Amino acid sequence: MNRVVILCVEDESEVREAIVRDLDTFAEVFRIEEAEDAADAKQVMADCVKDGDAVGLVLCDHLLPGEKGVDFLVELNEQPETHSIRKVLVTGQAGLEDTIKAVNDAGLDHYIAKPWKIDELHEVVKEQLTDFVLKTSANLLPYVPVLDGTRLMEAIAHGGRTE
Amino acid sequence: MLYVSAQSNSSSVLKGSPVRKLSPYELGGLILGLLLFCMPFVVTFPGLSPAGHRIFSIFLLAIVLWVTEAIPLFATAAVIIFLEILMISDKSLLPQISGFSAPKFSVFYNALAHPVLMLFLGGFFLADGAAKFQLDRNLARVLLKPFGTSPKYIMLGLMLITAMFSMFMSNTATTATMMAVIIPVLATLPVQDRMRTGLALCIPIAANIGGIGTPVGTPPNAIALGALSKAGPQYSISFVKWMVMAIPCMVVILFFAWVLLTLMFRSGAKEIRPQIDSKFDKSLPAYVFYITFAATILLWLTEPLHHVKSTIVGFLPVVVLLSTRVFTTKELHAVQWHVLWLVAGGIALGTGVSASGLDAWMIGLISWGDMSPAMIAAILCLAALMMGSVISHSATANLLVPIGMTLAISLQMNPVKAAVFIAIGSSLAMPLPISTPPNAIAYSTGAVKTKDMAITGVIIGVFGWALFTLVAPHLWNLMGVHLGTVTP
Repeated sequence: MNRVVILCVEDESEVREAIVRDLDTFAEVFRIEEAEDAADAKQVMADCVKDGDAVGLVLCDHLLPGEKGVDFLVELNEQPETHSIRKVLVTGQAGLEDTIKAVNDAGLDHYIAKPWKIDELHEVVKEQLTDFVLKTSANLLPYVPVLDGTRLMEAIAHGGRTE
Repeated sequence: MLYVSAQSNSSSVLKGSPVRKLSPYELGGLILGLLLFCMPFVVTFPGLSPAGHRIFSIFLLAIVLWVTEAIPLFATAAVIIFLEILMISDKSLLPQISGFSAPKFSVFYNALAHPVLMLFLGGFFLADGAAKFQLDRNLARVLLKPFGTSPKYIMLGLMLITAMFSMFMSNTATTATMMAVIIPVLATLPVQDRMRTGLALCIPIAANIGGIGTPVGTPPNAIALGALSKAGPQYSISFVKWMVMAIPCMVVILFFAWVLLTLMFRSGAKEIRPQIDSKFDKSLPAYVFYITFAATILLWLTEPLHHVKSTIVGFLPVVVLLSTRVFTTKELHAVQWHVLWLVAGGIALGTGVSASGLDAWMIGLISWGDMSPAMIAAILCLAALMMGSVISHSATANLLVPIGMTLAISLQMNPVKAAVFIAIGSSLAMPLPISTPPNAIAYSTGAVKTKDMAITGVIIGVFGWALFTLVAPHLWNLMGVHLGTVTP
């Protein structure tokens, strides 16, 4: 079965590990991948595609070595294949200009300021992934326990299956 | 850029319409289906007519495809109609059989617009409108209030509302709507509180039971009605007659299920407060819908007074809602046509099976003579209950109704009983997550274990089966419900 991937792009390994640890509740249903910069992220995404999995959410830091986080997100937004991926900035150091660019050109879905609160992170990831699976998945049932069950049920109610 | 080029291969994954590989199980089903399809061409069954052999091929293929779901259920229905036209109609590609009056090919296409499907289409329009204008949520909010905050009575309220909705909406949509109400409540209860299981389980149980209540409650009812209307005018059942036959026992089963659930899943919490935030839609289109909704149901319930068939009334909401633009192409496209097609496949299969004499031949394989009609009715209902537990309820009814009815007629037993009991038996089949989509939905919440579902499902199924087969016929006699005179 194809899994939906959460990709966490963050150059500081301790921070990255902390985010991934905080995403533990999603690991049962989603594949969680990490990358240290944009180039690495592209490699990871290609691997996911090879396995038949689809990236659904990118949690991205802005200040990365090499390509900046916002530029990476703009790139994702412009490619039709990656356009529907939900994009979230998790950063403390994006300036006004970069933030404007992220909103206008990267189709940014949410901005989480560092240091993040675990409840906020959970809530954002849950809502963003709910949006993603509602748009892309034919079978919503596997996501009910970890995502926004109420919204998923309402969607099922509007497009039920054969009895 | 590596990831982009690689990603483009899988753009279908993102768009949610991946070209799925068949699982080994599905592939096995496809191969077995084709092998069995070929068998009647090679093997000659004594006593079975040449036309019967052809339809037997289709019947065997249909069984395997509906059981394994190697192709979607509605696709199997289309395959059946197509193969019947190609194999036994007057336009058959195979040589015409002398002595067999081949049905016109259009007869098989007609199944797709059978009057019972128009009744169902009307039901879909009402249900889709209820969802669009949030009539279901609003009614749930208002109706749940009198049940207070005690978990036990909230559960009763939820079950009654769910059952009532599923009498007119699909069991699946009802379950999902009510589950959307329940999920926030589940989140407030401690994980070890057994009431979580009880609440998550009471919804699909009530939805499955509620589906029994009206002809539009669930597709097996439509399959039974479709077959009965073909068997003869004396066997056709009006909307109200079905309700009178089904609802008394249905309500008893519902209360039985509630008592069972309250005994099995006692709550640690003193009170629960489901929050349903919705407002009555007071726009003009909403009012047009409310009036259409009320008028349609009123006309369905008063058929004995005005004698306009429910299958004709069923087209009323279609006409009104489309003409007033309350429903646009968007809603028309969202109609679950695949459910209608699945029912049509069953009707077409039934037509072929009885036209070719396959049903009589299959029934002749077993000596039924020494069994009483009541026993045969009970066996048919039980067969539907068991089959429906592992395969789709509609597929169960599609396969069993034609044979069950012929069996009944050949034994001078009333075919109404056979058809109705098969439909009800399949609705009572709910011991597993795979038994029916409402169960799958409840299971997906993680609050229900298969074991809980199996125990409650088997107990309720067997109780319902016993109640309908042992008590209902006497009740019908007492209430003066006539099932039509059997003509041999």
